[in-house]
Amino acid sequence: MITVKVKCFSQVKYALNKDEVIFELDHGTTTDSLESMIRDNAKGKLDGVRLRVAVNRKYIPEKIELKDGDEIAFIPPVQGG
Amino acid sequence: MVKVEIINGPLDLYLTDNNRTQDGAELVFNGRVRDTEHGNKITYLEYEHYDGMAKAELLQLADKTVKKFPINDLFCKHRIGKVNIGEISLHIIIWSKHRKEGLDAMSWFISELKNSVPIWKWAILEDGSRVPTECKD
Repeated sequence: MITVKVKCFSQVKYALNKDEVIFELDHGTTTDSLESMIRDNAKGKLDGVRLRVAVNRKYIPEKIELKDGDEIAFIPPVQGG
Repeated sequence: MVKVEIINGPLDLYLTDNNRTQDGAELVFNGRVRDTEHGNKITYLEYEHYDGMAKAELLQLADKTVKKFPINDLFCKHRIGKVNIGEISLHIIIWSKHRKEGLDAMSWFISELKNSVPIWKWAILEDGSRVPTECKD
């Protein structure tokens, strides 16, 4: 098993009502699988919301296999300015 | 040269610089908080950021901008935390030899900032509720 931390911001934080969530996952779990879990936990509140993925505070262009200790953020549309 | 700052509190604005004898254009952009978000009256905004990623993305974007456009310097300050209506949340200054490259760089930098830098707005509505500004309900 691996342990990863999901940081929650904006609409993800609002949907889950949490700042962060710790997951115990099987080896080989990908960012796509974890995103599905997050969307399931949100019970439809993230439907239609595009999420970009950051692993260890860097955007990743495509799915990757997660490692023990990773910090993941599913980034909803940003709104700086 | 680029300089970026993420600040929790009021901004000190960058000063005009009369020693820049090679820069014919000095562009300043100030983004201010409106009193409505998506048609809803608000009392103020709270800016949330991804600590450790937002500043790195902003710096990377500033570096990319000075490479993409023939400008000399780009400085940027973005506020986080509570920002009242009418206050400045984003302050940018660009110096360039001519105006066109400065204007183009400013426009591109702001567009990219709104696309990639992990900063979000929470609207505090008149009834006291706190909602992310793109939230559907």
